[in-house]
Amino acid sequence: MTQHVLLNSVEHKDLKVITDRSAKYGDNLWYTVTFPLEFRSVQAHYPIFFHKDTATGQFYAVALFGFKNEDNLFLTDKGWDASYVPLTLRRQPFLIGKQMVREDGIEQEQHVIHIDLDHPRVNKNHGEAVFHAFGGNTDYLDEVGDMLAAIHQGLNDSQAFIDVLLEHELLESFTLDIELDNGEKHQMIGFYTINEEKLNMLDGTVLTKLHQQGYLQAIYMSMASQSNVRDLLDRKNAQHKKR
Amino acid sequence: MQKAVTKIVIVGGGTAGWITAGLIAAEHNADHGRLSPSPKLDITLIESPDVPTIGVGEGTWPSMRSTLQKIGIDETTFLLQCDASFKQGSRFIDWQVAANNMPNGQHSYLHPFSLPIGEPQFAIAPFWLPHKAQVSFVDAVCQQNQISQLALAPKQISTPQYSFINNYGYHLNAGKFSQLLQQHCTDNLAVKHILDHVTDIVLVDETTQTDVPKGDISHVLTQQHGQIHADLFIDCSGVKSLLLGEKLAVPFISQKHVLFNDSALAIQVPYSDDNSPIASCTHSTAQTHGWIWDIGLPTRRGIGHVYSSSHTNDEQALQQLMAYLKPDLGIKAADISPRKLNIAPGHHQVCWKNNCVAIGMAAGFIEPLEASALALVEWTAKAVASQLPPTRDTMDTIAKRVNQQFQQHWQQIIEFLKLHYVISKRSDSDYWHDHRAANSIPDSLLEQLALWRHQAPSQHDFIYREMLFPAASYQFVLYGMQFDTQPQVQLKPSMKQQAQQLFTENNQRASRLSQLLPTNRALLEKLKLNSFSKI
Repeated sequence: MTQHVLLNSVEHKDLKVITDRSAKYGDNLWYTVTFPLEFRSVQAHYPIFFHKDTATGQFYAVALFGFKNEDNLFLTDKGWDASYVPLTLRRQPFLIGKQMVREDGIEQEQHVIHIDLDHPRVNKNHGEAVFHAFGGNTDYLDEVGDMLAAIHQGLNDSQAFIDVLLEHELLESFTLDIELDNGEKHQMIGFYTINEEKLNMLDGTVLTKLHQQGYLQAIYMSMASQSNVRDLLDRKNAQHKKR
Repeated sequence: MQKAVTKIVIVGGGTAGWITAGLIAAEHNADHGRLSPSPKLDITLIESPDVPTIGVGEGTWPSMRSTLQKIGIDETTFLLQCDASFKQGSRFIDWQVAANNMPNGQHSYLHPFSLPIGEPQFAIAPFWLPHKAQVSFVDAVCQQNQISQLALAPKQISTPQYSFINNYGYHLNAGKFSQLLQQHCTDNLAVKHILDHVTDIVLVDETTQTDVPKGDISHVLTQQHGQIHADLFIDCSGVKSLLLGEKLAVPFISQKHVLFNDSALAIQVPYSDDNSPIASCTHSTAQTHGWIWDIGLPTRRGIGHVYSSSHTNDEQALQQLMAYLKPDLGIKAADISPRKLNIAPGHHQVCWKNNCVAIGMAAGFIEPLEASALALVEWTAKAVASQLPPTRDTMDTIAKRVNQQFQQHWQQIIEFLKLHYVISKRSDSDYWHDHRAANSIPDSLLEQLALWRHQAPSQHDFIYREMLFPAASYQFVLYGMQFDTQPQVQLKPSMKQQAQQLFTENNQRASRLSQLLPTNRALLEKLKLNSFSKI
């Protein structure tokens, strides 16, 4: 269950948030949403693919952590085995809320921080304090605020990025067939990647535009990130050997 | 005679005219939906400004998906602008026996659009026959019976446009469909649209134009725009068949002695509330002298009683229609005033003569029992588009080919529709008895029925390619109607095992999909916010 409420320093002054990475805190995901503004960090560790939201049918980029549901190959007994954890995962248990405020008589939408009080990270004894004992944000909460702002901006930009990819038919579906050393086979369907043939056929004016928007870099970073599938495979094979 | 075919005139708007215009323009004047800078063909559609389109034809086949895709229309746009919904087949109610003769309520069966599981590589029907007492054919080999009973959609919002989880066509508002096609054809495919009355059709004057074959149409005469010439004329003028039937005097072959229905009463009915489920298939409920169609659009239902005027009269037909509507409309059913339509069941001997092709009702029309009208429009238009003769002197060769297939299609439609009546056990009127009278049944159908007593319909029963109804359609109708085919004594064990796996897979898919798929209404609501993607 989730219980999303507006974060405030009165009711939530004693709250702490566990920042360790573990399955018991909901980290055992096989992918998470990502966006071009963090592709540079993400592509260093994870393959970036595209996937459809089953509720809306719309595309978004994902960083892949494993080959099937509840199979996160970066999650170890000692925590997360990579130096960068994507923001949409790190933000837990916080999320962005919208609030309408009247400023100078004009209705305006304002972004505020919400917290999921039922999230297993939330408690009163362990982890990072959210507020100082006598009020005021901790550095941790400021960091969370920055993270949420980056996600908000990143997802808006991602939407524009995806629209451009679709406009130029630069996405194509693919099936990833994986064979492990022990002969076990996995087939991953429902993922999309950059259509390199179409990309190579784009004319100069379109390329210039993509470059100006910063999307050309994002396209190539997502293509380059595919080599991380090899790393995932090594992790999977190592996992099997340990057993 | 060597003159290239470059100018095409279509007489008549409506769905037939605009589908034809769209398909020909997309084939010859566009590439991937983009209009060529120098279009090969000059296509003009002439439409009378004040002739109302018939606007029934509200059910399509799955072929409409490829037609729309070819014409270059976005599926979400089409669904929203034409009040369209997803159709997964036709449900036949009370066709086997009249409801009052059934101890356990109504008998009904589905003729779904999806092929039986395993088809076309594996013919599964013979392996179902030994199990017919335990499970219906449709439930054994297909998921759409369950899916449609729950009013579920054939796909999800994440399924690309025109792709499916279960095969589907559409229910649509024919008037709005014509408008969308017209707008698309004129805006994006450079089809010229002339609103004018055609006052005369003028044949070639042999004395002055010796290079053009005798009997060709030279031009049509219009009130405002004078003479309009073309190399090829397409007659989409509806039942009047102005060019092919009237001017070129191609004989009309009546099929009333086989399929008696020649009258219809049609009406549009609102839903009792905005959230009523939208049916996933056309409902066809047999009556004493005909049957009632029921087509669910998101905004309303289109309902009509089609019947034989030789067996009943309009008044009785109206009463039966009202009795059908009464559970939904209550007392308001008395206020309705349906529109009367007369049908001449049959078709012209050929659809292509000289430099004129008829498409749609101008070529022929039959009761909409299997919604074949638009399917035949699409087939003919695609045939003309893909086989367009390069010159006048090659035209007769193409015409001969198209006519041959046209005749085969009509024969199959008539025999397949007739099948629905022949295997009925209804005995509540002369109408049903007459339908089973041997002299009303085409010989080839009688022969096939004799064969199907001993083996399931298979692709070998149909000798020509590109048939409209596959063998599976015959299986769904025959076995839906409890037709008895003697099970084969010897079936190969390996194949039996393969069939068993397919039955199991089908069962699993059916229960998984019943959980997974949204309702028609929920999916259509979602489409107001998010479109189907192209991939």
